[in-house]
This record gives sequence, structure tokens and C-alpha cells, in this order.
Amino acid sequence: MRTALAIAAFELRRRLRLISTWIYFAVFGALAVLWTLASGGAFENVKVSVASEKVWVNAPFALMLTIGFLSAMALPVISAVMGRAVQQDFEANTHHAFFTSPITRWQYLWGRFLGALAVLLLVVSGIGLGAAAALAFPAMDGDRVGAAGAIAYVWPYVIIALPNLVLAGAIFFALGALTRRMLPVYLVSAVMLVGYILATQLASDTQNRWIAAMLDPFGINAVYYLTEYWPVAERNTRLVPLAGYVLYNRALWLGVGLAVLAFAFRRFRFAHAAHARAGKIGRDIEAAVGAAAETAPAAPRDTRWKQARPAEYRWLSALAALTWLQLVETVKNVYFGVIALTGLLFVFASSTELDSIYGTDTYPATYKMIELVGGQFSIFVLILITFYSGEMIWRERDHRIDQMTDALPVPTWVPMLSKLFALMLIPALLQVLVMLAGMSLQIAVGYTRLEPGLYLHQLFGIQLLNYWGLCALALAVHVLVNQKYLGHFVMVVYFIAATFSGAFGFEHRLYRLFQIGAPTYSDMNGFGHYMPRIRWLELYWGFFAVLLLLLARLFWQRGTGAGLRARLAVARSRLRSRVVAAGLVAVIGFVATGATIYHNTNVVNRYLPASAQKDLQARYEKKYRAALLGVPQAKITGVKVNVDLYPTEQRVRGAGTFVLTNRGAVPVEEVWINLPEFGSMADMKLAAAPRVARLELDRPAVKIADDEELGVRGYRFEEPLPPGGTTVLRFDIEQSARGFRNDDPYTRVVYNGSFVNNFQFLPSLGYVEAAELVGDADRKQHDLAPRDRARDRKDPAGLARNYLTGEADWITFESVVSTEPDQIAIAPGYLQREWRQGGRRYFHYRMDSPILDLYAFLSGRYQVRRDRWKGVAIEIYYHPGHEYNLQRMIESTKDSLDYFTAAFGPYQHTQFRIIEFPRYERFAESLPNTIPYSESIGFVARVDDGDEEDLDYPYYVTAHEMAHQWWAHQVIGANVQGATMLSESLSQYSALMVMKKRYGDARMKRFLRYELDRYLIGRGTESKREVPLARVEDQPYIHYAKGSLVMYALQDYFGQERLDRAIRAYRDAWAYRGPPYSTTLDFLPYLRRAAPPGMEYLIDDMFERIVVFENRALGAEARPLGGGRFEVVLDVSAGKLVADELGVEKQLPVDDLIEIGVLDDEGAPLYLRKHRLKAGKNQLRVVVDRAPASAGIDPLNKLIDRTPNDNVTDVAMPGG
Amino acid sequence: MLAIRNLSKTYPNGTRALKGVTLDIPRGMFGLLGPNGSGKSTLMRTLATLQGADHGEARLEAAGGTIDLFADHDAVRRTLGYLPQDFGVYPKVRAIDMLDHFARLKGFAARSERRAVVESLLRQVNLWEVRKKALGSFSGGMRQRFGIAQALIGTPELIIVDEPTAGLDPEERLRFHNLLAEIGENVVVILSTHIVQDVSDLCGRMAVIHQGEVLLRGAPQELLALVAGKIWRKTISHAEVDDARRSHAILSTRLVAGRTVIHVHAAEPPGDGFEADEATLEDVYFAAIRGLVRNGGEAAA
Repeated sequence: MRTALAIAAFELRRRLRLISTWIYFAVFGALAVLWTLASGGAFENVKVSVASEKVWVNAPFALMLTIGFLSAMALPVISAVMGRAVQQDFEANTHHAFFTSPITRWQYLWGRFLGALAVLLLVVSGIGLGAAAALAFPAMDGDRVGAAGAIAYVWPYVIIALPNLVLAGAIFFALGALTRRMLPVYLVSAVMLVGYILATQLASDTQNRWIAAMLDPFGINAVYYLTEYWPVAERNTRLVPLAGYVLYNRALWLGVGLAVLAFAFRRFRFAHAAHARAGKIGRDIEAAVGAAAETAPAAPRDTRWKQARPAEYRWLSALAALTWLQLVETVKNVYFGVIALTGLLFVFASSTELDSIYGTDTYPATYKMIELVGGQFSIFVLILITFYSGEMIWRERDHRIDQMTDALPVPTWVPMLSKLFALMLIPALLQVLVMLAGMSLQIAVGYTRLEPGLYLHQLFGIQLLNYWGLCALALAVHVLVNQKYLGHFVMVVYFIAATFSGAFGFEHRLYRLFQIGAPTYSDMNGFGHYMPRIRWLELYWGFFAVLLLLLARLFWQRGTGAGLRARLAVARSRLRSRVVAAGLVAVIGFVATGATIYHNTNVVNRYLPASAQKDLQARYEKKYRAALLGVPQAKITGVKVNVDLYPTEQRVRGAGTFVLTNRGAVPVEEVWINLPEFGSMADMKLAAAPRVARLELDRPAVKIADDEELGVRGYRFEEPLPPGGTTVLRFDIEQSARGFRNDDPYTRVVYNGSFVNNFQFLPSLGYVEAAELVGDADRKQHDLAPRDRARDRKDPAGLARNYLTGEADWITFESVVSTEPDQIAIAPGYLQREWRQGGRRYFHYRMDSPILDLYAFLSGRYQVRRDRWKGVAIEIYYHPGHEYNLQRMIESTKDSLDYFTAAFGPYQHTQFRIIEFPRYERFAESLPNTIPYSESIGFVARVDDGDEEDLDYPYYVTAHEMAHQWWAHQVIGANVQGATMLSESLSQYSALMVMKKRYGDARMKRFLRYELDRYLIGRGTESKREVPLARVEDQPYIHYAKGSLVMYALQDYFGQERLDRAIRAYRDAWAYRGPPYSTTLDFLPYLRRAAPPGMEYLIDDMFERIVVFENRALGAEARPLGGGRFEVVLDVSAGKLVADELGVEKQLPVDDLIEIGVLDDEGAPLYLRKHRLKAGKNQLRVVVDRAPASAGIDPLNKLIDRTPNDNVTDVAMPGG
Repeated sequence: MLAIRNLSKTYPNGTRALKGVTLDIPRGMFGLLGPNGSGKSTLMRTLATLQGADHGEARLEAAGGTIDLFADHDAVRRTLGYLPQDFGVYPKVRAIDMLDHFARLKGFAARSERRAVVESLLRQVNLWEVRKKALGSFSGGMRQRFGIAQALIGTPELIIVDEPTAGLDPEERLRFHNLLAEIGENVVVILSTHIVQDVSDLCGRMAVIHQGEVLLRGAPQELLALVAGKIWRKTISHAEVDDARRSHAILSTRLVAGRTVIHVHAAEPPGDGFEADEATLEDVYFAAIRGLVRNGGEAAA
């Protein structure tokens, strides 16, 4: 051991003298500083966030991820140091000296391994030091720093970083020592990184998380899994324990590492293997040949070759042959096959979760397969291009035949182009593979619409061109850098920079090297308007690639000349007129295409990087909030609008009138109008400013403001509008996409499937609160005080408006929509008349009852499926080919109408329409009698009714949107806390009840597990504060997920009918009312009154507090009573906690009704009844009629429990 | 005929590898003798277009006219055969395929033509029987013969062979010498080596290069004449070597049966037990690199 330590110490000292060791150290230190500063809000544009803005940057949880993640990023360094620990002796030919010295191979290997490990530990210690040092930077936001002890810095090294160094180190050490080459080491390091990334993706499904936790060799997913339900407060204070899956993961992978190491140690031989063997074979052959040569006639002195001197050099044939040779040499390489195969396996593995929602798959449409296979496999293509570009360019030099080949009379461009072409053929070949993989996956599930044309277009016509750009880049980098490993490093840096440049505020595509972006393909709209930008960028980077290649041509290494001066001299001598001419053409092309792109992105359109957009938002708030919120405003009460949609030109024009009414008690003096793109600030990246042809009031007024930049206009009436008085706003406004943008294109008006909401292109009134910056850090940077997401439930300003439509109440609505002649245009209301005029098609819609100021216009080449439910016409406007789930949607509509009309009151319309729109957005939206429904949810779901695990979400989504016709369109919450509970939670509840009736309780359990997961993760990643359900501030994890859980439990406790009656009573009291609008304070009394005796406490626990249970089963024993009956003695523990807004928990006394259940071996309940339990241990005796299998407390997880899996335990049968 | 004039090369690290080298190399085998690091390989690589020179020029009179070696790389390469000092192979590629590949890069586009060239060369270097073996399995001698076959593609008029016999066993070396002797009749063949025997076996003309300078040039016989009668030999014990070094210009020391035989250079008999010895090329070589004889300047004039 002493000897081994001496070897280790020598290795360590040697490495400490290498500048690279300290560079690595500094790089990781700097990364940790940047990372910590970024999550500490030091940079305006960059936000790194672990879980939540409320988790301190030095919280134990944050440090665990910082150190764990960044140390995983050290993989290339680990591979370099560990791989070379032994391999360097072969490369430098020093192995003879070591192998002949009086040390054992164990001493040698242990010494080298430990030495390298010590070096790596030093390198990654930079991360912890950097993370600690960052706290002292003045730019660090003090609010983001908490109290953390030194242990929080050390612990991640103990359980994550060090075991990872041992694992990865062992693998690379073994590969380097056994193969004596570095290529396999680098390739495996890339594969490990990809494995981690894909494990992370796998973790998105609750069912797979434990697999991801085990599969992730770095243990980070295990940490995520163990802590997924930790609220913010725990993440800030609790050390991630070495327990559960973290423990299993570490044990597994540390074991793997040690096993690999043991294998390597056993297999490694102190021998001069390859050369010695070859030499011997050589001599044998030689001997044999020598004998043969003596007997054979002397070699014929064929002199033909002397005359064979070629008269002309046909280099093109040489180019083709060389390209082929280069390609074959690469593809034949075993590691190439390994990587490509690994890639395919990853793709096949992840295809099983194709775009699934609630665990239900979608049909493998070709565009999806291309996204999945082409997308995931692209990581592997990039790896292959990166590594083999270096291999190819260095092949002659690595094999030391460069001096021979370089002295041959072949023109320099031949080897260079042959390598370029071979490199370009690699991705082309792989794309063929991708295409075949995609098609076979489609066929495997019986899907036969293969669309080969689309495959070719997207894989070869778009993606391959991107790859080719990277080929040119990789080639140029390797030529210019002229140092193989440094070249690889530069490429890796490029990929990292390319990945994160957007996040660091470098958003413009003119300088994001070869980042062309991919189009979003939609069945409905094809490539839409995505292609112009892509083609221009391809051209632009194509010219740049030519420039790079010319540069490479000039600096192509031929011969042994070294040093910058010599290389420059050579390059100068190669600068002939042809090269200059080609360069000039390329420069002109590059500049010209660049100018065109700039013209489109920055002149025709407005270029708004994220930071500029935030500046605008801050400016809007500062300029208008105080002024506008204080001023009484008129409200929109009537809308008549003519809308002309021009899908091909991406243009929409809206002309019409708004009736403005003074609904207040004081005269209105001013009218403030937001032009559309500013009316919804989230969409501010919209094209150009709208063209306003007309904007005028019927009543004499003077213009007092015209803010071009923020799109705000103000008018003051010459005579104020008295209470109850009305006036009319006439407008004629047009919005269109022009040219192309730096961001993804405008997708509201498109060739087929236009979908534009009123607030997106028509004027709106007053101050738009939704435009304000939300994040505390963003607001702080712009000198704005932190903002509440919602007003208090008693705030009069909040009560005066509903939470959706701003300065508008219930309106009358009428519209005429026109579109291209082969399309159908749709707006809320009933079709009055349809006609053709001037080559266009017109539709006149009128709504018969007041609606919210919330409507949209859609147009497409639709097919229509029609049905009826009593007096209600059901229509689905869908894209031909998307018939899969129409029947489910119709049935859901009918079932919902059955249930809702009976339980909650009449449906206010005589028609219900679902309209499909392209998958640029992924939601369904409930508008009055009209449901725009995205192509990507529901329409392409592949629901397998035979599969217990599958959830019929087209049915569910339809029911949810249908329910909104009541919960939003009949009663609408005021613009205060809790508003979305009244619409979303009630819609969730309504949809759940319809689903329960159709699919039964058992499937509901699965759905609710998704909701529980969503809620618990949501509260751990809360960026401000968690609030009780009744005060929800538009937080989806609360109003959807917790809403579902709470309402489902409530109907279980109260009884469904009793609950429905209470809800109906609330609807009856509040339908079509407001202002003032209702709040949860109006709603909850109905529930309280409906509560059965002894259950009133539930209302407080579920709606007004954050309550979490800690129930678990301790043990269960059964005793046969004869006659097939059993007595089960069950020990359970009950616990109830109340959490504050960050998740700090306090025990509550328990005096709660909690369900006790005994289940048979199929999970069906034999006994299920609520018992009043006290805190801590409770013992119960239950008699059941059949043999019990398991038993427990709250076995169906009706209550919110952070560890839902320990509620049930197996029943022990004595003697059985 | 290859004429080199005043060739100089300094590496970026300051090493002056060539200092105004001037040489006329006629057709036939030309031996370039010098110790390791003398600048031989730099000279070879420079002539083989693999690196540039700082100063000087080199012209080759070839069948198609005079070629400026530094100005027209393509023309040189068309008529050049080069066997580098230290070269590798693709270990898994068969000899015949590799040679075919080189032939293509020399411009033999037609397949039949290439096949003929490859076959005749492989037969000439006596590797035809093993043409289908992977190059990685070749012995050192076979590899060198493969190298020379590669250099001979396309009937070059300038053949540069850098240290070809280093590491070969005597039998392999002999075989290789025979091969070189065959080809060295009508074209310029430059054989760079540090082994005197190679030169004396093969070369009609030679030069000695040391520290970037040409010290001697001429036919071996002419050069022998420079030291003829000035070489003395004595057998001494190991302990006496240092003494002898102080008092005599020792050219070489050699062990013969455990005793040290020293060769010294002196115009007059040194006495003291020294006896006259017949001059060998080795003596000339050592005398030159110890600065005792030189004719480099005269030839340049």
C-alpha cells in the first residue's frame, strides 16, 4: 500500500504542476460562482432556479443540486484525467519502464487510480468553494441567501460528488487501461451524460420516477425523487438524507463502479501486448515468405509502372474514392456502431411514453415520430459529428502516415473535401436510420399513415442541413485549432454556448452560430409560415460555412510545418485569386442574407429580447398603473364587429363598435384604450404595431395621450359621461404578420386553422394588470415593489371587475366573419346567415344572451360531425383524418349535459361547438357555446379502453370545458383571491363526477394520483407562496390539482347529491350577476350549510388552511372466524399538519373522520368506513366476509398525504 | 540532378536546423550521413515539400524540365517518392489496398492501371505473397519495404529515403539494401542515415551533415583520401581512456573482447604504442563531426 500511495502521490504532484489541473479547478469554481449568482438574481436575464425562487441559493437542497449537477458536468474532465491515468503510459511509451519496475500491477493501478481521484476531487472542490464565494459578491440578492452551515457544503460531496467520481472514474480508468485508447473513453463519457439527460426526461411520468431515480448514474434524479414533495421550507433547512432511493441509487452505482474497477484490475496485464504480438506474427510471415520467395521465380521486373505515369490527374475520382474510404473507416469503427445503437435504444425506450398525457399515449403521427426520434437521436448525431470530425481530420497524423500522404501529388482540396463529404454523409446515413426507426415504431403499433414525404422533407430537407452546417464548423475548428483534444473541447464549448446562449440574453439568430431552429409541423397547417426564416437562416449560415471552409482550406495542415508564423505564411501562399473570389462571393452572400434577415427581424418586425420586453412591462406599470387605476372607467357592454380573416396573408382586420357604459356612480371623464398587442402583454412579441384606421368616440372628446411605444391612447370627454350613460367606440384595426421574426412566427392567422382571441387583436379598455411583471426578482431589478398576485377577497376594486375581462361586464355580441372561400369561419353565437361575396365567404353570428367579453374567431378547412342532445346541437369542426376521438367528445358532451343540467341548472345555449386548431398551443378554451380545442390534446389521443392504466382524457377535457359553460360563463369570480377556484376547481369537480359515472371509482383513483403528484410538486416549486384553496392566486397546482382532490374528497364525505345541491344553490344566487362579482366568501357558506353534522371542520381544513396528512398503516393481522369470515386487527397512525405559505408545518390535534379500509387481493374494498381517529396510534378491529389481503388508513388516498404509499400494509395471517 | 543552394531553417523554438546548406546531388544513390539531430530529417522533409525553408532554393532537373522545389510543390510531388523516417500504417488495412490507395492519390485514376502498378511494385519489393495481410501484422523490414513500394509509385525522379534501416535486423537490412541498389541507377535517390555502413554499401556519392551544416561531400573514395594515413589505432584498458582523450584526438572507441580499441586522427604518428590503421568511412565521418576534416566550403565555391 505504501508503494501504491507513493505512486498516487507522484501522480498527484505531477498533475498539480500541470496548468490544466488548475484551469479545470478555476473553470468549475467560476461556473459555480456564475450559477450561484444567476440563481441569486445577480443577472438581469439569467435565472437559474432550483425548485423555486424561495429556495435560498445556499440551502442544503440547492447546494446538493449545484454541486451534484456541476460535478456531473465535470464528466469530460473525469474522462480526460482518469482515462489517461494509465493510457498515458502507452501513448508516451513509458509503460515499459513501469512494467519492468519491481511493483505489482495492483500497486501500479491503485496508485494511478487514487492519484487521479485525488486530482479530480481537487477539481470539483472548486464548485463548493465557488458556490460559497459567490455569496460575498455585492451583486448577490440578500433575500436569496439563508443560513447554511459548512455541512451543507460537504454533504453533497459525500453522497453525490465523490461516489460519482469513483463510478465515472472507474469506468474511464478501466476503458483507458484496457483499450489503451482515448476514443472509447470520450465516447462513453458522452453516452453517460446522455443517459443522465434521458433519465431526467423519463422522470416526467410519475410511474417512471423510481426507475429514473435508479437509472441516473449521478444520483441527481434520486435526490429529486426523494425530495419531490418537500415544501420550500424543508428544502431550505433539511439535509437530503442518505435514505430511500438516494441510498439505493448510491449503493447500486458505487457498487457498479467498484465492480468495474475490480474487473479492470484483474484483466489488466503488465505486458507489451499489441506490438510484441504483431512483431512475432510479422517474423513468422516473413519466414514463410522468404522461403517461398527463394523457390518462386524472381519477382518480374515489370516496368510498366515506369511508363504508367499518369498523363492527367483525374482528381474527382480520387475524391469520390477517398470520401468513400473515409466514410467506411468511420462507420466500420466499432464505437460508431455502439453510439448509433445506443441512440436507437434510447429512442425506442422513450417512444413508449410518446407524448403521453395522464399516462395515455397519442397516435404516432409522423411529425411526432420525427420530433421524438429525430430530436432525441440528434444528441447522438452531434456526438458522432464532434468526435469523428476530429478522428477524420487527424486520421493520417494519428497513424503517422501523414508524411507519406502529404508528399503525394494530390491537391490539398481533395483530402479536405473528402473528409468534409464523409463527415456530411454520416448524418445523412443516420437520418436514414432515424427514418426507418420512426416508421418501424409506427408500424409496431399498427399505425400506417407513414408520410414518407414528410420524413424526407424534415429529416433531410431541414435537419440534415443543420447538421451539415455543424460538419463545416467542426472541420474548420479542428483545422484551425490544430490540436485534437483542444479541438474537441472547443466544439463542446460551442455546444454548451449554443444551448445556453438564449438563456443568457443572446437571442438574436444572426449571431447564434448555426442555430437555425426547427419548424413546428401541424397536421392542420403543415409547416405553416415557419419556413421563410429557416430557409433564410440556412442560406445565411450556408455562406458562413463556405467562409469557414475557405479558411480551413487556407490553414489545412499539410506537412510538418509548425508554429503560427509558418502556418500564416502557408495560408498567405495559398491565398490565390480563386480562393479570394470565392471568399468575396461568400462574404457578399453572408452580408446580403444577414441584411435581409435583419431587415425582417428588426425593421419590419420589432425585435424584443426578453430583457427589453421586461423593460417595457415595467415602463407600462410605472407610467399607467397609478394614473389609470384611480380613474373611473366606462365598461364595454356591447360588441358588434366585422372580422375579415386573410389566412394566406396572415392578416386580420376588425372593424366595429363597442358600446361603453358608465356602470359606476360618478361621471367618467376619460377613456383609456390599449391597442391589441399591449392589451395582452404576454404576447408582446407580436409582429409590427397594428394599423389603426379608425378609433373614435361618438361623444366629443380630445385625445390626451398617444403612446406609440406602449400602444396606449387616452381621450377626455368634453362633457363627462354621467352614471348610466353610454357612448360608442368605433374602431377599424388591422393586424398582420410581415416578413419573419427572430422568434417563432405569428401563428394566430395561418393557412389552415386560424384562431385569434378578441384581446389579441381588438382594443381593450383601462389598465391591464396582467401586463405587470410578476417575479419578485424581476420587479426588484426594475425598482418595483413586490406585487401580490391577487387582491384580497374584500377589496372593492377587485369586486368591481371579474377576473377575466377587465373593464367589461356582460356584453351583447354580434359579428360578421369573413374568410377565404374554402374555409369555414366561426365565432361565438348562432349562425344567422352565410353568403359569398367578392370571392370570400361570410358568416353572420349573433349571440342570444349576454356573455363575458371573451370571444374568438376561427377559420379552417373543417369537416363537421353533428349530433344532438335534446334541444342542443352538438358540432365538432375537425381536421379530416382526426376522427379518432370524435365519438368520445360527443359522448362526453352528452353525459356532461345530462349531469350538469340535472345537478347545476340549465345550459344557457342551444348549441355546443368544438373547433380544432393547430398545435401551436396546447390547450382547450371554453368560450360561450364555442370550444377551441388544440390538435395536440384529445384529437390524437390513443385511448385504450382495455388498459386499466389509460385515462380517457379527450372525454375528461371535453367535460371540463363543458363545465366552464356553467363555471365562468354563468357565475364568474371577482378579480380577487380564490377566483379560479370558482371556475377551475368547480369545473374539475364537475368533470370528475361525469367521469366517475362512466369509468367508476377505481379509475378515478389513478387520475387523482396524478393530481396529488401535481399538487405536492407544485407547492415545492412555488415561486411566491402557497395559499389555501379558497384564496388561490391563479396557481394551477392549487385550483386544478388540489381543487380536484378536495372536491372529490368532499363529495365522498358529504355525499355527491348533497354537495351538488349546495353548488347549485350558489349558482342560482349568482348566475349572470355582477358587478360586484362573487368570491369564495360567497360560495363557502353554501358548503358550510350543507355539511353533515360533525363535518364542518372539513371546510376550514380544505379551503381556508393548508392541511396535509401524515397517515400510515403500522400493521394488520387477521384471524379467521370461521365461515369464511375474518377479524382484522389494524394498527394505524394518524397525523395532521398545517403548513404556512412556505411549507413550515405544525402538528394539529386530530379528531378527524378518516377512512379505514380492508382490501382483497385485487384491491377491491371488503370494508370501507370512516372512523373518528385521534393523533398517533389507533387500533381498530374490523370483521370482513372474505380473505383480506391488505388494510390501512385512507387506503384510496382521498386525503392529501405526502407519503401516500405507506397508507396500506399487507395483512398478516397467522399460520398462513 | 538536384541542386540545393544556401538552405536555412530555424524552428520557432530557436533551433537552427539548417544553416546555409548547399549541395549538388547527381543521379544515383546519394548518402546523407549525420548523427541524430544533425538536420538530416529537416532537410529531407524540406525537400519533400512537407515544410518550408527560411532561405535558399532547390532545383531538380527532371525529364519535364527544371523544377523549383519550393515554388512548385505540385510539380515536385508528381515526381517525388518519399519514405519518411518514422511512419505508421492503418493496422487493419491490407497491403494491396493501402498501396492502391496511395496510387490513387498519386493520380492513377484508372483502376486497371493502378492494379498493374500495385502488382509490379509489390512483386518488386517482394511483398506480393503477403499482399492480403493486414499491415499491422508486418515486421519492421516488411513495413519498410512497403514504404519503399509506396515511394516508387509513378516512377519518381527524386526519391528521398529517411533513415530506412534503423531498427532492422541484419538480414532485413541486406534485403532492403538490395532493393535500394536496384532503383538507384537512373534517378536521384537521397538516403539519409546515421549508419556509416549503409552509405559505404550503397552510395556513389555522399555528404556528412552536422549541426545543420554540410561538413563533407564527395565520393566515398575521395573522402577516404582526406584522412588516409592519419588514422592510428591502439588497444588500451578502460581506465586509460580518459587519459588518451586528453592527449589525442580520439575519433572512436570500440570494445573488442572487453578491451577498448581507440582510433585517433593525427597527421604524424602519435607513437606511444599507436599503430597505423587503414582509414574507413567511419573514421572520415567521426573526423568530420569532431571538426578535424572538412571540405564543405570548397565544393560550394
